[in-house]
Amino acid sequence: MISLWHFLAVGAVLFGLGLIGFLTRRNLITMFLCAEMMLQGVVLNFLAFGRYHGNMSGQVFGLFIITVAACEAGLALALFLTLYRRGKSLDSADWQTVREAGLPPTVDTDPLPRPPAEPLPPTLPVAGRLPDTFAASHPETTRA
Amino acid sequence: MFWALVALLLPLAGGLLSALCGLARVPKLAALPAVLSFAAAAVLSLMVLSDVYHGGGELRFAANLGTWFSAGHLTANVTFTLDPLSLTMLCTVTFIATWIAVFSASYMHGDAGFARYFAVMGLFVFFMCLLVLADNFFLLVAGWEGVGLCSYLLVGYYYAKPSAASAARKALLVTRLGDVGMILGIFLLWRMGGYATDLSVLFERIGNNPPPAAEMTTACLLLFCGAVGKSAQLPLYVWLPDAMEGPTPVSALIHAATMVTAGVYLLARCAPLFVLSPDAQLAVAIVGGLTAFVAAFIALAQYDLKRVLAYSTVSQLGFMFMALGCGGVVSPKMTVMAAVFHLFTHAFFKALLFLGSGSVMHAMGGVIDMRKFGGLRKVMPVTHATFLIGALALAGFPLLSGFWSKDHILHVLSDAGETRMKYHNTYYAVFLLAALTALMTAFYTFRAYFLTFWGPVKIPHEAHGHAHESPKMMTIPLIVLAVFALGVGAVVDPITHGFGHFLDRTPSIARADQLYFKTTNMVHTEHEFNWTIAAISAVLAGVGILAAAALYGRGGPEKVPAGLGGLHSLSANRLYVDEVYEATLVKPVEGLAVAGRQFDSFLDAFARLLSYLPRFGAAVLRPLQNGLVQFYALGMILGLGVFLTVILVRSAK
Repeated sequence: MISLWHFLAVGAVLFGLGLIGFLTRRNLITMFLCAEMMLQGVVLNFLAFGRYHGNMSGQVFGLFIITVAACEAGLALALFLTLYRRGKSLDSADWQTVREAGLPPTVDTDPLPRPPAEPLPPTLPVAGRLPDTFAASHPETTRA
Repeated sequence: MFWALVALLLPLAGGLLSALCGLARVPKLAALPAVLSFAAAAVLSLMVLSDVYHGGGELRFAANLGTWFSAGHLTANVTFTLDPLSLTMLCTVTFIATWIAVFSASYMHGDAGFARYFAVMGLFVFFMCLLVLADNFFLLVAGWEGVGLCSYLLVGYYYAKPSAASAARKALLVTRLGDVGMILGIFLLWRMGGYATDLSVLFERIGNNPPPAAEMTTACLLLFCGAVGKSAQLPLYVWLPDAMEGPTPVSALIHAATMVTAGVYLLARCAPLFVLSPDAQLAVAIVGGLTAFVAAFIALAQYDLKRVLAYSTVSQLGFMFMALGCGGVVSPKMTVMAAVFHLFTHAFFKALLFLGSGSVMHAMGGVIDMRKFGGLRKVMPVTHATFLIGALALAGFPLLSGFWSKDHILHVLSDAGETRMKYHNTYYAVFLLAALTALMTAFYTFRAYFLTFWGPVKIPHEAHGHAHESPKMMTIPLIVLAVFALGVGAVVDPITHGFGHFLDRTPSIARADQLYFKTTNMVHTEHEFNWTIAAISAVLAGVGILAAAALYGRGGPEKVPAGLGGLHSLSANRLYVDEVYEATLVKPVEGLAVAGRQFDSFLDAFARLLSYLPRFGAAVLRPLQNGLVQFYALGMILGLGVFLTVILVRSAK
């Protein structure tokens, strides 16, 4: 027979694994997944107690948490994408600018290897401006 | 009564209109509403006077315009009273203010604060009329303090001048000192009189069941404190000579009609209270006598023409208080009549003298030091003639107004000295002091007159070579006031006895008289003209004038009779009173202020120290916010761990 204790044990294991993952990994997406795992451990507790007391409150809580987690996932992934576009990095230690003013940044002694730089997509010059190579050879055409 | 209230409000309206003229950038018109409103108020009050003058019996109109404020037992009503006493004051104030306003319109012409001057002047006259008409102690105090405020504004009219600013502060602070006593006295009377604040009710109640003598004396002396401050009597007179810093017409207004007469009026009004306390009366007489003497002594050697006049005002106010102080031993009808009569005549000739000195100052380009000019009688004939009349009146020269009123006061004092009652020796001493002061008055007045108008013509270079007679706007008020100073005394009382009989119809004075006869069992006697006193006072005036003529008849420079050099320097240095006050009062207070400031900065330092404690804690904790997400997470987990441990340990117990 599966008792309340079994559910709670699974929940606790999920929470603990997520916690350890959150603290030890530095990739933002992995950290986010670990946080989700902790969340699911908590949801499991709700469901277990709901079943134990014989009412639906736990189930309702579970549904709500899953909904909120979905929204949260969308938001978090969008933020990560923006961050990646700015700094070409998903290392959480690279994003420490929101710290006390005047405090020196914490130096990462063991940084993640940088991914190889991608070549920029080819772009056209803005209309009305001469290409740089042409301007260099014909200085009289540049505007003051 | 209605017209009297209109006369009360007119100066206020005039002042407001003047202020509006200033705001509307047409300051040149500002004099017009003030002059017109004062004149209208004067005409109205004179009409009321002529309406009620004839007839007999008590005369009193009252108006109750509701409650001003009320708290517990304390209720202040807006009540007005119009009786001969207040009507006399009202007519004097508005009449004199009108002529002073006319004079100022020319004297202050082109001044930057022209509109402000007339606005404050309107307010000044309004508050004085309020004070005079009020039948409630708190309304009276409102007028009283309003007059103080306006004197502050006008004395400090040239506020950019440091001496004027400090003189204004001095005027306000010194009179405030007396006002503290006055407010305390009012509250004492309020308690003794069954929680009433209306003057007429208080007089009735306190007269019917007189409280213990000690309590009555305390209350009267406290009221007298206020009068001492406002009317510049002995310990607190120092503000009045300094108030010369204001424009000269302001001095005329303060000295003649408005400010300083308030104290005399208060004591005249409260005669039914003072008559119950012979001790307080004696104190009033002694203070008045000493003030009259000291101020006259100081006036003997002053070089500033306005200062001589200022000290003479202090001295003349002392005369009025001497008369009021006899109320316990002589019939209050006579004492109040003597004081108010002197107030009345003094208002005319003192306004005249001040306006005359203003005219001199105007011509001399702002110089008022008598050593720098002289022999002006040819240069300014009208000013000379009018000033001479004013000086004769002030000196008490026979047949001029000042003679009759001073004679009344001396008469009252000699009567007080001759009664066989308690303190009559003291009153006799006060009488001798008053006679001596009368002599000195004649001397210093004519010293100033001769130094200014006789001797070789001497004109300071500040006049820029065009010293001339003042314009018509200034000489006409002088002439009008001179006519009054010449004749008003004789016409109003000694011939017709009209003034005395009219004033006797004041219910509060009649009440005081009644109480006096009840307590002293005196027999009612009719006021007789005393030829001996009149002769004495005429001789005194003549001797003073002749002495001044002998010493200064040919103009300056100052000649000090041999052997009197010490006295002269004592007088010229104003008895060192200002210096003594500076050393005994101002310096300790300054020391206290410095100590207070030190203590304050110590408290500040302590408070700053306290504020550094949280700042220090924050400095320790601030590096924890390092921006690393996982560091924060670790912190949360550790916190959670501690929290759980605590719960587990506690539940295990």
